[in-house]
Amino acid sequence: MNNFFALSPILVVVLGALLVLLLDVFLKKENKNYLAYISLIFLVICAFVCIRFWNKNYSYFNGNLFLDNLALFFIFILVLATGFVILLSMKYITFQDVNYGEFYALLLLALSGVAIMLSSIDLLIIFLGLEVLSICSYALAGLKRKDEKSSEAAIKYFLLGSFATAFLVYGLALLYGSSHSTSISSIINFFITESELSIMALIGLALVIIGFGFKIAVVPFHMWTPDVYQGAPTPITAFFSVVPKAVGFIVFLRLFVPYWKNALNTQAIFWILWVICVLTMVVGNLVALRQTNLKRILAYSSIAHAGYLLIAVLAQDNSSLVFYLTVYLFMNIGAFAAVIALSRKGKEYLELEDYAGVGFKYPWIGVTFSIFLLSLAGFPPTGGFLAKFYVFSTAVREGLLPLVIIGVLASLISVFYYLRIIVYMYMREPAREIEIAVENPALFLVLFFCLYGVIQLGIYPRNILVLINQAVSSFF
Amino acid sequence: MGYFLFFLLAALTVGAVLAMIISKNQAYNALFLILAFACLGGIFALLEAPFIAVVQIIIYAGAIMVLFIFVIMMINVRYGIPAEKKKWTIYLSIVLAVVLIIELILSIKGAFTLPVSTAIIKAGPTDLGRLLFTKYLYPFEITSILIIAALVGAIVLIKKKEKK
Repeated sequence: MNNFFALSPILVVVLGALLVLLLDVFLKKENKNYLAYISLIFLVICAFVCIRFWNKNYSYFNGNLFLDNLALFFIFILVLATGFVILLSMKYITFQDVNYGEFYALLLLALSGVAIMLSSIDLLIIFLGLEVLSICSYALAGLKRKDEKSSEAAIKYFLLGSFATAFLVYGLALLYGSSHSTSISSIINFFITESELSIMALIGLALVIIGFGFKIAVVPFHMWTPDVYQGAPTPITAFFSVVPKAVGFIVFLRLFVPYWKNALNTQAIFWILWVICVLTMVVGNLVALRQTNLKRILAYSSIAHAGYLLIAVLAQDNSSLVFYLTVYLFMNIGAFAAVIALSRKGKEYLELEDYAGVGFKYPWIGVTFSIFLLSLAGFPPTGGFLAKFYVFSTAVREGLLPLVIIGVLASLISVFYYLRIIVYMYMREPAREIEIAVENPALFLVLFFCLYGVIQLGIYPRNILVLINQAVSSFF
Repeated sequence: MGYFLFFLLAALTVGAVLAMIISKNQAYNALFLILAFACLGGIFALLEAPFIAVVQIIIYAGAIMVLFIFVIMMINVRYGIPAEKKKWTIYLSIVLAVVLIIELILSIKGAFTLPVSTAIIKAGPTDLGRLLFTKYLYPFEITSILIIAALVGAIVLIKKKEKK
């Protein structure tokens, strides 16, 4: 249905960003927290709009903007993620000297890019949305301006990101050249009608995989991840580890699932993704074993999770992919929240050594962090277990047994480094005293919500599975 | 007249590019590149594509080259690449040149076999503008968000640091 209101989720977020930018000028440095509240209000409005538009299938601009249930579900989920990130940042940015009003504005603008990408099936528009998201991300990564690591992260992310963008545009040009359209459905149609292998289109598709592979951080396009994750302000790292990844996978879902169902010559692309998937799981998990910095461990763990998610893409398993991404949001942001909790003014504790004895000294942080780590490793009764279980079981049914065996072995390796953090927290004598700022209600709210999400999705996922099924059954 | 202009511009383009490669001074390199771009713009104008001609000059000769010159002046590189690295660049450029020659031969061969299309599509600024505000309105509007994001990002990164 053609309706101007289809624009509203994007407009609300952009308006929020502009208002924050405007008010930033008038607010004193002590009162910058009001900007966070304003951003949160706009996020709540956006989430409310998403709920109201469910099942309505609004579209605008001749279908260039299309709010199907899949788009709405993910806009809602990522609005939630951004809300968590904002709550996590409120104290953090005053502690770590990144207290700029533009922080929230950039986050909201990045979210608008996400909404643009999610609600379109035209690759040109998806590309523009990706650029909005990326440009905000480059700036956000470098916000700790007095920290050399942060500037390094921003430069690295910017250079490699521009390179990936070039690949993506080149791929889009080749796809446009062969199919005369940038819309995903026409491109798929081209692949259906073309009985002979069109080399140009396949190279285009492969370049698109490279472009997005960079954003979702799969091996061999993952080199930037650990450095950028380590250098960026920690709440922003939580944002990077969830949001671009989720969006990238939704684009993959929209592009590759119909491609595999319909196109004739799919072997080449299938095997490219297969190899990327195996490499991602193995390299991500093996390299994580040797890390001692918490942010780097979580960076490699997020790379490994991209591998499991690719299994779902290869198995054409839409609902498991969406469920995995949902669970991943809660457990990963929760884990980062626990890492952020261990900080005070001007100091962050990020080395594994610092975590010795934390479990007894700060029981709340210890317990929740342990649950998030167990969920990331895939232990029942957490959401992480069910997510992995769904992905692996459908993959077996689709005949991807070798992939599942590698996946299970890789997640066994991952248990080691997740449990090592827990062992440090509970079974090591603290080598040095750490002192943290305990009064941070916003952060504990996030910890609580993520804990609730992980447990709820692990024990009683029925409600959310019904929603997910509605979302994936309707897309294009 | 057309032929004369074409050959003049073509010779100027090739000459400018050659001079750019040979000249050692980086600022001269950039200036020769501007000359080459301007001549290319002239060739586009001869092909009855005034819009591309103007854009070629505004974007390449104007915006991008100014950036180049800024960077060259800021980092102030006096000496080129050191000799041991230069070997590699020469080998690499030989390989790339061969690829380019093959590509050119293939495309020229293809150009002669293709039927010459009689219907010349004249795409002027008017048509482009109309498309931009009808079919491509949405991407056009997204670009405005993109520019805001870039501006805000750049400003927050270079803002004056506060004194303690």
